[in-house]
Amino acid sequence: MDLSNPYIHAGLIIVAITIAFLTIMLLVAATVLAERRVLAFMQGRVGPNRVGYGGVLQPFADFIKTMMKEDLVPDQSTRFVFLLAPMIAVVTAIMAIIVYPFGPTITLPFLNWTFPLVIARFDVALLYVLGVTSVGVYGIALAGWSSNNKYSLLGGLRSAAQMISYELALGLSLIGVVLLSGTLDIYSIVEQQSGWYGSRWNIIYQPLSFILYLIAAIAETNRVPFDLPEAETELVAGFHTEYSSIKFLLFFNAEYINMITVSMLATTLFLGGWNVPFAEYLFGRGTLLFGIVCVLGFFAKILFFLFLYIWLRGTLPRFRFDQLMDFGWKFLMPVAILNIILTATVVFVMGSQ
Amino acid sequence: MSGLLFILFAGLAIGSAIAMVAQRNPLYSAISLIGVFIALASIYVTLAAPFIAAVQVIVYAGAIMVLVIFVIMLLNVEQEERRPRRLRFLVPAAIGMAAILIAETAFILYSVHAAGAKLPGPTSDVGLTHSIGVNLFTAYLLPFEITSVLLLMAIVGAMSLARQTNLLSSTARVVPGAQVLAMDIVKRRGKEDLTAIETETTDEAAHLMGVDFQSDPEKRE
Repeated sequence: MDLSNPYIHAGLIIVAITIAFLTIMLLVAATVLAERRVLAFMQGRVGPNRVGYGGVLQPFADFIKTMMKEDLVPDQSTRFVFLLAPMIAVVTAIMAIIVYPFGPTITLPFLNWTFPLVIARFDVALLYVLGVTSVGVYGIALAGWSSNNKYSLLGGLRSAAQMISYELALGLSLIGVVLLSGTLDIYSIVEQQSGWYGSRWNIIYQPLSFILYLIAAIAETNRVPFDLPEAETELVAGFHTEYSSIKFLLFFNAEYINMITVSMLATTLFLGGWNVPFAEYLFGRGTLLFGIVCVLGFFAKILFFLFLYIWLRGTLPRFRFDQLMDFGWKFLMPVAILNIILTATVVFVMGSQ
Repeated sequence: MSGLLFILFAGLAIGSAIAMVAQRNPLYSAISLIGVFIALASIYVTLAAPFIAAVQVIVYAGAIMVLVIFVIMLLNVEQEERRPRRLRFLVPAAIGMAAILIAETAFILYSVHAAGAKLPGPTSDVGLTHSIGVNLFTAYLLPFEITSVLLLMAIVGAMSLARQTNLLSSTARVVPGAQVLAMDIVKRRGKEDLTAIETETTDEAAHLMGVDFQSDPEKRE
């Protein structure tokens, strides 16, 4: 079978998108359950453990229950925007996954098909991720505005202000890595990190950048301690106060998909993506087994970040809004710019890799 | 295939642009403008300029329009009322301008066709990040730097405008001798420093607060 045939290529891409979508959705379900169980463990509770073995079916039970609820649209809301907002949120959240390489280029045994484990590979992949993320703000902001509810409006305003502020720090923190690798193509950035038997990760060169990215990413996904848009003690449920049933589910999914994609970006840029140390030596480059090990390594790193998210939620209290703004503009931004200047100087003196 | 995509995105762009102008609700206009930007970005992708497309989405759709929507939400702008059209005399001028624009476009299309110039194909590397970066920092370095200085000036200007101490509006009246100003308004020290100072006249109070105000109409410029 000729893989370069455009029709077969398109078909393969559709298959790949389906697999990636299902993987992400299962990962969302797993994260929801893990969050509840791990938080319960940290707070000395039991957590959901009745549905299925150890509660593994709990997310699906919740899904069915939420779907069965009445789908309300507030009387005074702006109907069109109210329906549009959750769609924007979930679509922009899931669009980012196409550029992340799940694994290396592998060759299937017997069939001799060689293909990279990535859906799309193009020149401006990193900018694409940033662009899609920045459009995602509209989902939350428009939801807050269209609900015609003061809590929703405050939540929407807060999230818009917060996401604009932290997007800058997020983008600036990535420039260090881009300066080092000299490309915006995420697949190439991951491949460059496969030196030193697969342990030449960018975090060794850019530790400051990594920490900045991690903080800004948590703020971008509206998670504790930056969860002011949905601070339940102040704003009921923030921007999604008026949303019920499947529309609430879309927002809920969007939040968790954002967590996963942000973890994927951290993994690919700083922790070597699919690179597993010494896997190349043990299994040989490009074999199926090597591919499987690399994919598992990739997901292990993502799960580490997701655990970090839950851990932070169990540990830290919420910021006050002025503290949040001060922290983003007066601390993260200057440090990120300092990091860029330092990295650029070093790259200029030493020459790029 | 690319022709079909072009028709799709061009239609989307034109439709959104018309919707943006025709909408009375400012928020709907803003959403339509975002639609225009995203459709244009898609067209850039089909024209083998992915970098421009990404920047278009990040800068215009992602940053500027978020601010616009933020302001609309913050001010809670109501639906614009239908006013009597005072600018009706501009309609013929607009039609004339549109005719000139269409003629120009037709002329460009015709001259490109007549010259038989070949457009860069989808494999061209003109729109890629590397070639844009190299050009920006070699051939077009001066315009690039001037633009950045211009942006810096805009930022500094905005800051200095926002920092002006217009604490009293021009219509405010302060009863002479009655007002007590908190010290930190006059001399910005700490928030805890609330030493009261007394003033005799409105002018004095306005002067202390850094407001350009003159109560005597004859002394006003």
